[in-house]
Amino acid sequence: MSTLNPTIDHADHADHGGHGHDHAHKQSFISQYVFSTDHKMIGKQFLITTLLMMMVGGGLALAVRWQLARPWERMPIFGDTVFGADGGQISPDAYTMLFTMHATVMIFLVIIPVLAGAFGNFLIPLQIGADDMAFPTLNMLSYWFMWPAIFLFGASFFMYGGGPAAGWTSYPLLSLLREAAPGSGDAQTLWLLGLTFVGVSSMMGSVNYMTTIINMRAPGMTLFRMPLTIWSMFITAILQAFALPVLTAAGFMMVADRLLGTCFFVPSGIVVNNAPPTVGGGQTLLWQHLFWFYSHPAVYIMLLPAMGMVSDMLACMCRKPVFGYKPMVYSMAAIAGLGFIVWGHHMFISGMNPALGMTFMVSTIMIALPSAIKTFNWIGTIWGGRVQFNTVMLYCIAFVSMFIIGGLSGIFMAAVPVDIYIHDTYFIVAHFHYVIFGATLFGVFGAIQFWFPKMYGRMMNETVGKIHFVLTFIGFNCTFYPMHMLGIAGMPRRYADPYHFPYLEHLLPLNQFMTASAFLMGMAQFLLLGNFFYSMYFGPKCGRNPWGANGLEWTAPSPPGHGNFDVLPIVYHGPYEYGSPVSGDKDFLMQTEYVPLAQRVAAEEHH
Amino acid sequence: MFRENFPISMPRFTRTGFNVLVTFGLAVINSGCGEAPQAKFKYRPTTEDLIPEANKAVVKTLTEDFGTPEKLVAWERFPVDYGGVKGTVAANDGPAGAFSVTLDGDAGKIAKGASLLWVTGSQAGGKSAEATVKSFNAVTKTLQLASASTAPVAGDRFIVAFGEDMQLGRVVYMKNCMHCHGVTGDGDGPTGKFLNPRPRDYRNGKFKFTSTQSQEKATRDDLHRIVQYGIPGTYMPSFLLLGKRETTAVVEYVRWLAIRGEFEKRFVEELTNDYSESVIVDSIKKAQASYEEKKRNKEEAEKPLSESKAKKEAAAAFKKYVDDKELDGAIEETANLLAAAWTQSETPEVSVVPTSQRVEDTPESRERGRLLYMSNTTKCYTCHGPTGRGDGAATEDFWDKPGTSVKFEKRGLHDEWGNPLKPRNLTLGQYRGGRRPLDLFRRIRAGIKGTPMPAFGETVLKDPQVWDVVNYVMSLPYQQKQPTAVKHPAEVVAKNEEKPAN
Amino acid sequence: MHWWFPGDGNAYSTLGGKIDDLFYLILVIVSVTFVGTSAALGYALWRGAAIKADEKVWFSHGSHSLEVIWTIVPSAVLLFIALYQLDVWAEYRMKGFAKEKDGSPKIITVVAEVTARQFEWRIRYPANGKPLKPTPQPDDIYSVNELHVPTGGLVSITLRTDDVQHAFFVPMLRVKQDAVPGKMIPVWFDATMPGNYEMLCAELCGWGHYKMKAMLVAQSADDFEAWKDKASAEQFDDGYRKPAE
Repeated sequence: MSTLNPTIDHADHADHGGHGHDHAHKQSFISQYVFSTDHKMIGKQFLITTLLMMMVGGGLALAVRWQLARPWERMPIFGDTVFGADGGQISPDAYTMLFTMHATVMIFLVIIPVLAGAFGNFLIPLQIGADDMAFPTLNMLSYWFMWPAIFLFGASFFMYGGGPAAGWTSYPLLSLLREAAPGSGDAQTLWLLGLTFVGVSSMMGSVNYMTTIINMRAPGMTLFRMPLTIWSMFITAILQAFALPVLTAAGFMMVADRLLGTCFFVPSGIVVNNAPPTVGGGQTLLWQHLFWFYSHPAVYIMLLPAMGMVSDMLACMCRKPVFGYKPMVYSMAAIAGLGFIVWGHHMFISGMNPALGMTFMVSTIMIALPSAIKTFNWIGTIWGGRVQFNTVMLYCIAFVSMFIIGGLSGIFMAAVPVDIYIHDTYFIVAHFHYVIFGATLFGVFGAIQFWFPKMYGRMMNETVGKIHFVLTFIGFNCTFYPMHMLGIAGMPRRYADPYHFPYLEHLLPLNQFMTASAFLMGMAQFLLLGNFFYSMYFGPKCGRNPWGANGLEWTAPSPPGHGNFDVLPIVYHGPYEYGSPVSGDKDFLMQTEYVPLAQRVAAEEHH
Repeated sequence: MFRENFPISMPRFTRTGFNVLVTFGLAVINSGCGEAPQAKFKYRPTTEDLIPEANKAVVKTLTEDFGTPEKLVAWERFPVDYGGVKGTVAANDGPAGAFSVTLDGDAGKIAKGASLLWVTGSQAGGKSAEATVKSFNAVTKTLQLASASTAPVAGDRFIVAFGEDMQLGRVVYMKNCMHCHGVTGDGDGPTGKFLNPRPRDYRNGKFKFTSTQSQEKATRDDLHRIVQYGIPGTYMPSFLLLGKRETTAVVEYVRWLAIRGEFEKRFVEELTNDYSESVIVDSIKKAQASYEEKKRNKEEAEKPLSESKAKKEAAAAFKKYVDDKELDGAIEETANLLAAAWTQSETPEVSVVPTSQRVEDTPESRERGRLLYMSNTTKCYTCHGPTGRGDGAATEDFWDKPGTSVKFEKRGLHDEWGNPLKPRNLTLGQYRGGRRPLDLFRRIRAGIKGTPMPAFGETVLKDPQVWDVVNYVMSLPYQQKQPTAVKHPAEVVAKNEEKPAN
Repeated sequence: MHWWFPGDGNAYSTLGGKIDDLFYLILVIVSVTFVGTSAALGYALWRGAAIKADEKVWFSHGSHSLEVIWTIVPSAVLLFIALYQLDVWAEYRMKGFAKEKDGSPKIITVVAEVTARQFEWRIRYPANGKPLKPTPQPDDIYSVNELHVPTGGLVSITLRTDDVQHAFFVPMLRVKQDAVPGKMIPVWFDATMPGNYEMLCAELCGWGHYKMKAMLVAQSADDFEAWKDKASAEQFDDGYRKPAE
């Protein structure tokens, strides 16, 4: 199903006049492509930046995997250049730096910005029928605040002692005292400042999204006619607005501890590396509380938008309404609400009051409920639909099934007694990679394929997309599924060389297999990049609505001009009226398509 | 033969499982990014400072006699246990390539494929002499070689699996020690520079905490102890569970590194005066200055050589030095000295052993110890402070760099390696060289090598007196502490958390 | 290929056994759920692939009763899992603080103070017949990277750290607890069988995190005392040997 008929009367006219539409907005290269205030351009900027950052983060991950497969042997490229005189084997502090920066780049520069920054920006005005964001300049700033963060993170690699090496969680005192680790010098300060910039960027985005979604919906776009993507972005924005200040404050407290000698997180009398004893009566656990108060909701910030987008894509690719639209919305809201009271599950064995462990366990286990409801509803959506097995659908299926695995493995660690054993083992690593990579990133890959026509007016290559899917899916599962086994075998996280523990020795072949799979997966991402940039210029052109979808964005030209819509869209339906009996011979019913009363009555009687 | 050295065969150390699994372009990364860099031994700055000819000679000697980290060479002159089973041919009367032998040690290590090296006899010395064991019959003590061409006679000495322990030591070292102590053992590994105190630089041949007298080297047991139990209060952790064989091997490797480093140091010291670039440049500068001075005074003066000419002259002199076999003489002398020193350290005569029992730990003994501690015979208090907190007056002074009149930039004591050094705070109960009374006895009797902690000989302190000081020092952590501004958090918290424990 | 719990797969402590039981219980529930949902997903996809282009799809916006069912059933299962765990957790982390049934305080012997530091474990035991004091005593016994505990019955260690955060982890006993700077945390466990159990650090503590390899040696109470005597004799060795007559 390629181009479908335009669905509003004057669409033909608009197509021809599409170029003429932005005649009034002749822009210089700088204002059009660099400091653009157009939400679509900002979205694309975010998307390309994050895709490139994904390759950086992936490279760091491969270096980590290399060390786990061939500990203390020559590591190509990184080891050769930095540790040539030692025969190319990396030092243990370089290993801690690698995994710290892998997580930092992937979380703060890829997953969070690709969801909220790229797709949030691109989709929110288009899907609610607005001509742009509420605060376009703020929007531009939110993109350009990413760059100081990228530079600060990048610069931290070149500080004396190498990049920050205290893990992405940066638990004090390791991260706080300069003497505690080579990477805890200036690199850690830069890291904290970079984090602040990322936070400011996210905050500007979230304010913008909330305002836009509340104020700028097209006529007829009631809250419960919004696509689930918009709902998820809305809830994410609220989550971020409430959780982020805590992290920013904590970050500044840590910076103050490091630079000004305040002692928020430093107990007195600690001697590290024979430095003078610390003064001050702080508490290291305070950082963990503050950090996870943001970072647990952040996990949902990294997941909810993907859930929303996948719901959209699933409905379209199954040609069937989303099953249980309102329960989907309510469960997202429930996830967001519960998300604020589960942070303690990262700290079950941290030495906080054990009684708290019980309450956090109950809330954590109960957060599985809305996730379960969503999963059942997705299956309900697919059930009885006419499934189009294209690349988008494959990614959505992968999203759902990987999310099932990731969600179920979460139950093990939500259970405190079991968590005593699997805490800080590879089981945790497996779990969050299944959720963040298996679910979110597969959802993002699908979304790229799905909305690419709207972004660039051209289709992405299906065959390459399918190859990319198959390789990534196989590589992903072969890399991360065995991590559950490693965790059960008791292999702790963040070990540069687990194999000198006799009880872990036998895991080396398994780790080597995982590394080989990770390289396969890493290489496959070049297919995505290639497909992306090739299709941008040489993909087959498409019309306004190549997928036969219902959302408002598909009534706009591809790519939409400045101001998005030819005419102000008026919304008559919910977003998922696929296969509706009133839609006549089409199997979809666009949100702007008015169905006369008589027709509706007739269809209803027929029904 | 004086310079008898053998290359140690490369270990077979591949991870086949991985290579089999690498099917997707990973092999390209592994092999396609150019040659893998080789781990290298670093040379001292003084070595690098020699004129090129001399430098080349030093590097050649070190490479030939010690090898590179990737390809070790065993210099038999030194008392290092390179590993392997030594034996003698008892009779060569069997079929070709098979002969009965008597082994010096346990036959456990002789396996198929092990290399065999001839030490004496007609096979020794030649390049083709390395043979491979095909089988070994433990009952009849018959050794079957892979090739039948060798025909040893009874009495020929050989080594099977030579260098095995050395290789193991190298592998263990590169995995566990190298990141701080460096490939060369110079204490300058990639992580080493962030540590306080700095990791030990073995190349002076000195180890701080030993059981031997003050001028002696460390024993194997001393190093073994340090590897096993670590050094509390430093980043040297305990490698208690490294495994017996691995620990022994790594200790041997460290001794070898220390010998290699000290050999380089002493050998280059022989050459520095005459063949160092900076010395040549300095002397020319001086000569130039005096020449100009004389010229100004209108005195007769000979124009000094130009720098390049002086270097050429030095090179010529060095060639003569080599031709006169003086270089070989220097090598031999250095090697002999080191071999003797490291052999001697293992003899019981140089071990510090108390001749009397520890004096009973009574308040009187402690008081005697305290008086000695505060006396001017020992002057303990000048560094360790009157209360034992390591804050004596000496820590406030600026000290000369050893052998020069230049002062250190930082206040306080320094060790031989030039790192700042704090006298131990004796009230912490943290004893770097071990907490046995014997260890403390040895610290006092033999000092701490390479540091300002002196050795108190029999003439200064008799054994019972040393024990008194030991008793006093060991009581320091448990004395009523003077109230301090900062209370140790552990104590505060402990009070609150005592409940469940009891 | 043994990719399951370390060793022979059994936990060597009472608590560990309970943790394993819970693990297997969750594993069963989770497996059933996984198989069920995956089967439903697979079937839906298979059916979806078979529907022809001109065939009408099942036009449905959802079902209220289905939503109620799949809200109530999972929440019952999840609540069961949550509540079922509480007791084990309480036993591990809280009941040591509680009183015995007759009102007397619970007594768990504190065998040692375990101090984690970059990058090793330093352990301090009281001399035989003495209780552990919070501050070092002259006759304390020290060991490094080797924690000896008696078997039979709960024992407690006091966990602290000299520098940054560490975590005490004994995989075979399923014991784990963070060591937090400035805190002394009691950890109690039992070892059901004498033997050597590996002990390691589970919380990133710097570049040498992986170096904190240690051993927990569980011995019978008699052996434990004998070991302490031996260690004490070694520790107070003055090196003097009577010359052979």
